[in-house]
This record gives sequence, C-alpha cells and structure tokens, in this order.
Amino acid sequence: MPSSSSSSFSSSPEPAPRKTDDQVQSEFTSYYLQRATKEFAEDLDKVRNADDFKADTAVQMLVAALQQGTGMFSLEEQRRIVDGLKRA
Amino acid sequence: MGKRTNRGGDAAGWPRKKAKVVHEAPTSEDIHASRQLRQLLIFDQDPVRARHGLQSFKLYLDELLAAENKDGDRARILNEYLNSEKPSEDDDIPVYLPDIMQTWSHAGQTNNDNILSAVPVVLALLLKLLSQSLEMVPYGLGICRTLLQKRQQELISRNLSADKGKAFIISPTLRLLREAIMFDGGAIAMPLFRARASMLKSLARNMGIVHIGEEPEDIKRPSPRSNAVLFFLSAIRHLQPEAKKELLSQRDIVSALTRDVKQDLPYLLKELLKGLRAHVLMDDNLPREAKSHLLNASTLTRLSALYQYRLDTPAEDVPSISDMAHDFLLAACTNPSCGVLRQDSGFYPREVDANAPISAAEVDDLGLEAVVWMNKFRNDVPVRNWTLSNFLPNLRPWSNVKQSELIIAIFKVAPELVANYFINNKSFTFEPKLSATWIGYAAFLFNTVTLPIPDNFCRATSFPGLPPPTSIVIDNILPLPLSQKALMRSLTNKSNMIAFFATRILVVAIEKLDVAIKLHQDPTHSNKTLWDEAARRLIDEFCQRSPGIKEMINSYRSIPDTDLLHREAASRLLRLCYEVLPQVALSAKFDVSPFLDIALGRLSKQELDDPRDLGLGLKELENLLAIAGYSPGMRWFGATEAQPLSPFILLLKVCVESPQGVSLDNIRQILNFVASEQQLVPARDNHAGLLPLIEALQTMYNSSPGSTTHLWYFIDNCLTRCANTPVKYVEKLQELIQEATEAKHENVTSAVISPIAIAMLEQLPFIAKSGDKAVLKALAQFIPNFLGFSLTSGESGPVLSILFSRMVTHLPDSKGRLARSGIPQGLQFKHNHLPSADPLTTNGRTNTASRESPATELSINDEVLERTLEVSDNLKAENSSLMRWASKTADELVDEGYATSLIALLASEHASIRKEALVAILKAAAKIKQSEYEEKEQVWLLLSELAETAKDNINDGPLPSPIVAFASHALNVLRDPVHGLYPKVNNFLTRGPFWKLDKLPLVDEILSQEPTVGDSFYTQIAWLLVYLIDGLRTPGDLELYHKKRAKGPLLERILAVATNPYMRLPLRTQFLKLLFRATTIEGGSTTLTTRFGIMNWLDARKAGCGDKSEAALYDALQRRIWETCDQERVRAWSKGGLEIQN
Repeated sequence: MPSSSSSSFSSSPEPAPRKTDDQVQSEFTSYYLQRATKEFAEDLDKVRNADDFKADTAVQMLVAALQQGTGMFSLEEQRRIVDGLKRA
Repeated sequence: MGKRTNRGGDAAGWPRKKAKVVHEAPTSEDIHASRQLRQLLIFDQDPVRARHGLQSFKLYLDELLAAENKDGDRARILNEYLNSEKPSEDDDIPVYLPDIMQTWSHAGQTNNDNILSAVPVVLALLLKLLSQSLEMVPYGLGICRTLLQKRQQELISRNLSADKGKAFIISPTLRLLREAIMFDGGAIAMPLFRARASMLKSLARNMGIVHIGEEPEDIKRPSPRSNAVLFFLSAIRHLQPEAKKELLSQRDIVSALTRDVKQDLPYLLKELLKGLRAHVLMDDNLPREAKSHLLNASTLTRLSALYQYRLDTPAEDVPSISDMAHDFLLAACTNPSCGVLRQDSGFYPREVDANAPISAAEVDDLGLEAVVWMNKFRNDVPVRNWTLSNFLPNLRPWSNVKQSELIIAIFKVAPELVANYFINNKSFTFEPKLSATWIGYAAFLFNTVTLPIPDNFCRATSFPGLPPPTSIVIDNILPLPLSQKALMRSLTNKSNMIAFFATRILVVAIEKLDVAIKLHQDPTHSNKTLWDEAARRLIDEFCQRSPGIKEMINSYRSIPDTDLLHREAASRLLRLCYEVLPQVALSAKFDVSPFLDIALGRLSKQELDDPRDLGLGLKELENLLAIAGYSPGMRWFGATEAQPLSPFILLLKVCVESPQGVSLDNIRQILNFVASEQQLVPARDNHAGLLPLIEALQTMYNSSPGSTTHLWYFIDNCLTRCANTPVKYVEKLQELIQEATEAKHENVTSAVISPIAIAMLEQLPFIAKSGDKAVLKALAQFIPNFLGFSLTSGESGPVLSILFSRMVTHLPDSKGRLARSGIPQGLQFKHNHLPSADPLTTNGRTNTASRESPATELSINDEVLERTLEVSDNLKAENSSLMRWASKTADELVDEGYATSLIALLASEHASIRKEALVAILKAAAKIKQSEYEEKEQVWLLLSELAETAKDNINDGPLPSPIVAFASHALNVLRDPVHGLYPKVNNFLTRGPFWKLDKLPLVDEILSQEPTVGDSFYTQIAWLLVYLIDGLRTPGDLELYHKKRAKGPLLERILAVATNPYMRLPLRTQFLKLLFRATTIEGGSTTLTTRFGIMNWLDARKAGCGDKSEAALYDALQRRIWETCDQERVRAWSKGGLEIQN
C-alpha cells in the first residue's frame, strides 16, 4: 500500500520514463506466462506426464500455447497492467 | 554386352554364382617430374600399369589440392605435363589429355570397372585444381569440351548407368560432371545440358542410390545420391532459365530429388535447401510454372518431413535443418512468385460469381436463397490453391509449433483454404483431453480464429455485390472442429486449463464475428437486403455452433477466485456476448451483481500483492461493470447481508484506494456514468461530476490510509438517498439557492450544487446525534476538502458557504477553527483531471461513443424510415391455411405455426372464412388435447377460450386485431415453459372461459405488476410491444388503444414506459415501430398529435438521446406524423404552434 505523506502531493511526482512498446510487450508476455503457469500448475503437471508429451517439442508447444493469449490485450491494456509495478 | 566374354578363361572354372567384386588396391608411385608423369599416364593396355599411373596421378592431385601453395615445383610438373599433352591448334576436334581419354575408352571396351572409375576420379580432381587458376582456365575448358565429344559422352553415359551396386563408378562420374558444369562460372553448362541424353543419364535413378549400412554416411565418401543431388544443384545454379525450366520439368528427377531427403546428411540438406531457394524459388527469371513443377504437393510434403530431422546437432546460433526447412516452406508457400501460391478470392470459393445479377423480384421472393451457390459449400469448398490444399493435411500442427506457424501463414495469404482444410480433415476432433496434443490443437485453432478477415471478404478494394457463403464465413470464425458439443465439454471441463483455452478461443471468435457482422452492415453495399439477411444467418449459425451463454456463465462461476487470468478471460467472454450478441446474452437473465460484489470486495480488500495482479483484477472488474451497464436489472445501490456496502461504494473504494500508477480511467468513467444516470450529480456537460468527491477521498486516503475507513457507510447512505429520491434534493437545493439570493443580495438562481452535498447536510445531524467520534473526526477532515474541490470545479461559492456554515455546526470544532477558516480556496486536483478540455468525459457520457449535441445534421428520408420502422402485417389472412392444417400432427400445428395461421384468419374480412377458421380452431384444439403434446392442456384452453370469445361475434365483423395478436403470441409463450410470461399467460387463461373484446388481454398484468420471473421486465415489455404492433391494424383497433380506462389510455401508458432511461436502443425502436404503425392507420397521426402530444414527446426523446442517427429517426417520425395527419385540424388544435417544414 502506498504510504506517502501529504507533503508528497504538493510536488508533482517525477514522471517515470515511458517504456517502449517492445519493453511493454516483453514484460507483459513474461507476466502472462508466469501467471498462467501458476494458475494451471496442476494441469500442466498432468500434461507433462501424458503419453504424448515429448520433451523436445512439447515444451515449446506448451509455452507458445499459453502465451498466445497476450494478443487479446491491446498494447495500452498491457501497458496499464505492467505499469502497475511502479508504486508511489 | 561382353560381360561373360570379358571374364574369358579366368571365369571358366568358377561356380555359377554371382561374382564377388573384389577391389584390389592399385599401386602408385611418387611423382617428381613431368616426364615421369607423362610416362605414367601414357596409354597402356595393361590394366595394372594403367591403374598404377592413374592412382599415382590421383595421389599427386590430392596433394596439390591440399597444398596451400599451388605455384611451387610440384605444380610446375603438372603444367609441363599438361602443355605437353595439349592438342595441336590445327586439330579439327581437339582432344585434351588424349592418353587418359584413350585409357578410359579402352577400359570401356574391356569392361574394366576399376579404370572406368579411376579416370573420372582424376579428371574431376584435375578440373577442380584447374578451376583455381585463372591461367589454366582455357585448358580446363578444353578438357570439358573433350568430355562433350561423342566418345566421352558414351563413356560418361555408360558410367552413369552402371549397376546400382557400382557406386565407385557412378559417384566419381557425377563429381566429374559437377566440376565440369561449374567450371569457369558454368561456361559449358548449356552445351552439357544439350547433351543431357548422356550427361543426365540415369540421374533420377542415381539420386535414389542412398548410403546403406548401420554407420552413417561418410562425408568424405558421399553416396551416388549425394553426388547426384550436388550435380543437380550445380546445374540449376548455372543453367539459363529456359534450360532450367526443362530440367525441372523432368518429373522423375524432381521426384527423386526429395524422395530420400530424410536420410541425407546435414551438409547436403543445407546445400539442397539453399540451392533450391536461391536458384528456383527466388529466381525471378524462372517462370512460375517451372517452379510449380518442382514445388508440387509431394515435394512439399517430403520437405516437411525435415521438421522431424534429428541427424544434425547445430550450434546455438546456427539454424537447424528443421529451421531451414521451415524457412524454405514458408517462402515457397506464402510468396506468390514462388509458384505455389495462387491468388484467391478470400471467402468466395473458386468459380463463384460474387457479382452475379439478381433481380429485385427474386430477392423479395427468395431472399438469400436467390443466390444459387449460397448453401453449396458446406461439405466441399473448391479452391484455386489445390497444391496447398493437398499439402496441408500432411502437416501436424498439433505437435509442432513451426508446422502450426506454417499453416497459419498459409491461411493468412490464402484464406480460401481455411474452410477447405477443416472440411477435408474431419477426423481430428477437439474432444477435450489433458494432453500435449489437445493443447497443441487448441493453440492452432486459436491462431486460425485470430486470422484477419480478408479485405471486403474477397481481397479486393470494394465489396462484391453478393455476400460470401455464410458457411464459409462461419468456418473461418469457428472452424469445424470447434463444434458446440466439443466447446461445451471443454468449457465445462474439470480441468481449468482446458476451460481456459476454450474460453480464449470463444473470445477471439466473438471478436471476429463482430467484425464480420460490421462488414455485412457496411453502408456501401449495393444489395443491402441480402447482406442484412446474410448477417442474420451468420449470427444464427454462430449461436448454433457456440456454447450457450448459460454454459459460459457456469464456466465463469466455477473459476477459483485466485485464477485472475482465467477470470479475466471468462468475464471478457461474457462482456462480448452482451456487446455482440445482446439478444442471446439477455435471454440468460444473468445477474451480475453477486460477481461484481465479489470482485469489488476482493479488490477493495487489497488482497492482491502484485500490482500487476491488481491491474488484471481491474480488467475483470471493468468487464463485469460493462455487463452491469448492459443489464437493466443492475442494482447499484443498496447493501446486502453479505456485503454491507453497496456496489457503487465498493467501486468508489477501489478507485480511491488503488495504488498510484494503476490506471483507473475506465473505472472513473463508469462511476461518473452511473452517478449521472442516477442523478447523484447535476447532468450538465461542464459539471465535474463525481470528481470532487473522488479527489477529496483520494487526498484524504493518501495522507492517512486509515482515515477514509470511517467515511464509507456515511457516504453510502448519502448516495443511496440521492439515488432513491433525487427530486427531494433538487427541491432542497432550490431552497438553499433562494436563501443565498436573499442573504447575499445577488442572483445565484442558476447555481449548481451536487445533490450529494445536500444529502450530506441532511444526514450530518444524525451522525452528530449518534456521537460516533471517529466518523465525525473523519468528516471534519473530509467535508471542508470536498466542498473546497467542489468550489474549484466551478460549483457556486455562496451556496457552498451556506452549506458549510450549516454543516460545521455538527462537526467537532470546539475551538471554532473550522468555522473560521471556512471552505478552503484554490484547492488543486492532483489525482483527477478536471473536465475543462473535455467536458463530456466527467459526466460519464463518453462511453457511448458520440454523445454530441443531438442537434443533428443527419437526416433520414421516408424510405429509410419505412425500412427501419415498418413491421409487416403478421395477421394478414392466408386462406390456404384452412386446408393445410388438417394433415398436421399436434406438434406441427403448434410448433410450425399452422395454429397461428388459423388464429389469424379470425381477423379476416370475410365472414365465411372466419367461420371456417373457427371450426378449424375447435377441431385443432381437440386434436391437440388428444395428442401427447407436452403443453396440450394449456394450448387447448387457449384455443377454446379464443373460439368461445369469437363465437358470438363471428358474424359482426373481424375479431379485433389485438385479441387475435394476443392469442398468436400467447400460443408461442405456452410452447416454452421457461418463458418469462408463462405464469402470467396461464393465470390469465384460468380466469374465465372467454375474453372481453374491448379489453386488451394481459396488458395490465405486464405494465402494472411485478414480473413473476426474476428481472424479466424488459423481456415482457418487448413481448407486449410485438403483440401491440401486430394488434394495431384498423381504426377500430386504434380506438381500443386510446380508449379511456381506469389507469389511463393504453397508448399513454406505453409512452410513459418508453421514457425509462434504462431502455436499450432495440427496445426504444420497438416503441417507435408502434407509433409508426399508428401513422399508417387512417386518423392515427391526428390522434397521436392531438390526444397524446406526440410531437412534444418526440422532441423530449430527441433532446435526451445522444446518438445522431437516433435523433434523426425522431425527426423523421415527426415529419411522417405531420405529413399523414389532418394538418388543418392539427393547426387549429395547436393554434398554429405545430408546423413542420419539409
């Protein structure tokens, strides 16, 4: 939680440097993947133990499949989420 | 041939079995002088000596080739030898290296395989060496030309077609040819190709002689296949386009080139892929058809086998064979100049005329069915890209990311293939299973769905005249494997990950559907009727293939609270349903409030540690809020037992307490929108809305996060009161203004104050009385700030001062400090932007896109008005119904509309028809009662009561249309026990055996009573309007609509209902359709104007709407009413006040 004192409102906060689009996308993709692996950890374990799981190709496929959902977020939405990192 | 003869006496005593080939190693000697070399290579019939000479020369050449310095003494020996062997310039047919050539020829005559092999070996080495020295190039060319002479051609041909087992002859010959064709930049490539009968002899066969053995092929001793492939690659590199075209047209060679590609060594494959890419794919001078000879479906399939190639172990930064094959296939299949890809017409299949002329009469009669090919492509889609269509099924997109990428890239450039691909590959289903294959397939389907729709559906710059086949559009939005069953099972699967994948696919599918619908509705279409019908069909087909909204809601319900990503996707799906398929979404009676409460509760409790999680949580919240906005039954104010704060306050709390940096613009907009709709803030464009309240709370929260805790219940109470009784606070404001005017002697009559402040003033004494010190202390800090920010935002200073002076008496201010300092002046907004730049933003009206002044420049002509508001006469008598019903079963009578057709005949002008219809209805009722039809009792009752009602009046004229319309629509309600009106219709039927003709059935029950099922009020109103529109056909009907009744004339009540601000556009339009129907009846417009003040009503509606096109509709309807009314009478009635200029 922010714990800034009232004095912090008298001076305007220093603007953080705006991330480039590539930075935003890469940070968001990494967050999305991290979130997905956390939410579906149990299911992912089951997939790893499935008969058709071939380590050389299936891992790549899983990662690609999980992170393809990032396209559903516009760049602006991605920016809003990753910018949530900077706290006062 | 002389095989047997050759063996001569040696073979005579051998048993008759296959001779074992024994290669005796030849002897050799070191070479020190050119003379010695000449001696060694001079023609000698003795094969041992000949081999000795050739072997010595070979070793000498190997040594020279390996040496760094090629100009030393050793090289000089060779030069001297070559010069001594140079043919005379006078020779007509100069033969270079005559001795070696003669030795070769003699070996041919004597079938000496060893020498037949040894000669090409030394010649290949020699050419290789000579090619490295500019001075020696002419000599090398001389040797090459010698090879083209008849005798040598025959020897080469013979060598090339040697037995398959004689790789030691075939391989060096191919190497020799390769050196020759490459020599001097391909100087003799063309003549060599002209002699292809010899030079390319058995090339296809030789490409098939692969290395055999358990050990991998030795890179230093390449197999005939490797040599043949390298020779072929050198040929395509150096041949002119015409010759290359001919070479590529040799089917056997092209086929053999890739047949054994899986076993080739990595170096060869690199050469092959690079060579084909550079000299076939990217050769702009090579005609398309030549390229397509090579790149047929079979070649592409064989190359695609390299995706599984595992013989290479590339370094990290070096592309693997699999990567190279992928790049090759990607270029070959997606670049139109590579000969495979053909230009298609997007969603229009091959041979379809998208601009076929269709007469207006056909369109009227048959609609979309007038387009003969519209339904033709459900099971087969003819395509232009047949090579790709044959190739794609050989790929395995579910197990390999790159193969999936390749197909998607092909789909992107050849959209016609999407539907074709899935129709031809029905065997692979989407049945959910937690396996790598299912996930791979889901990912592939997701990517397919996200593919863009081709420009104007046909990849052209404008729309064709006719819409694309609906089946193809839907196959691109929800490809065939995504059946309703498979999607439902995935969505409701116990594995959250499977449900998540299915949800994401549905999200992108609905987004794509939205785009497709908009393209169908483009105003530039020449044949709008057909495109509109196609859009409707598209929606229907989508609904048939997609899971229902109930499954989506259940899936959302079952997601664990902590699964933010999944919750966001599922809430987004629901939101999209409301936005794109509102009719489907609203039918589910989904109450979003509990979900909103949970989401708000979670966010307001700040349970999420990671601010990015908070951002994701806010996305889910935004989706739920949007759904709440679409749900008319959303209750923003009012706490529940589980949640003591109202949803609105929880949302406000989230907004105030979110960490800095988290974007809250959307939440703020929604808060302002609701505040404005609920009249918590003045509905003025330049008013700051809720911002002063938010700013004051944020300032306080940021100075001390705990301080706002004591305020929420107080603010909730005040806001709920404002929302419940807005008028009360407007009146109180007037009193305050009056007081301020009197006290200050200045005119503040136009002063604006937020009703919230007045509600706070009203509630403050109760808090003071309760003596809750913590709350009072918090209020003492909050109220001056709130009023200060209100002042900054432009509210009236004098009125605020009066408010403050009254409030301060209830606040803890023992030393009078608060009272003395008054409202703080000049407070600056730090967390929110005041609406100076964009005044509309803050009153919450920006979310409806264009809330500009309704003073519109748009105008709608009569034709458009008719098209928009005219409803066809559904009670129009079709006398043939009297004949058709008799042979139908009870189910068909009710479900397929035969019964309603009979009912409609009671409104016929002809008594005989009415009588026949009455008899038929009674018979049909009896038939239904005796049947097994599920709702037979109710349907029988309805028909019997209708017959009873009609019986006594059958000779007096047509039954009033509203009665007939009611019976028709009530029958449809009875068919569906979950219909919102089912209980009411049944109640009505049990009330008595017949109906009053001058009373409109069920109107009171719908308009005055609570809905019996959930929040189905709007569904009921929609049903009532359809029935009322159908029931308004004659002046007699109109009379029933404006007849005085206890609760007022029906039309008056309907017009009052229509002013409900939560009514959505489709429902609002229904009201206008009813009015339009009235204008088509004689005297209708006059009655509307003089009895119901319809012009003013329309003016008010127009002023309240922000959408230009809707405002234009009101204008057009006013004009229509004016044109169809008795203008003289209306002028007199309005004393000239009403006059509409055309």
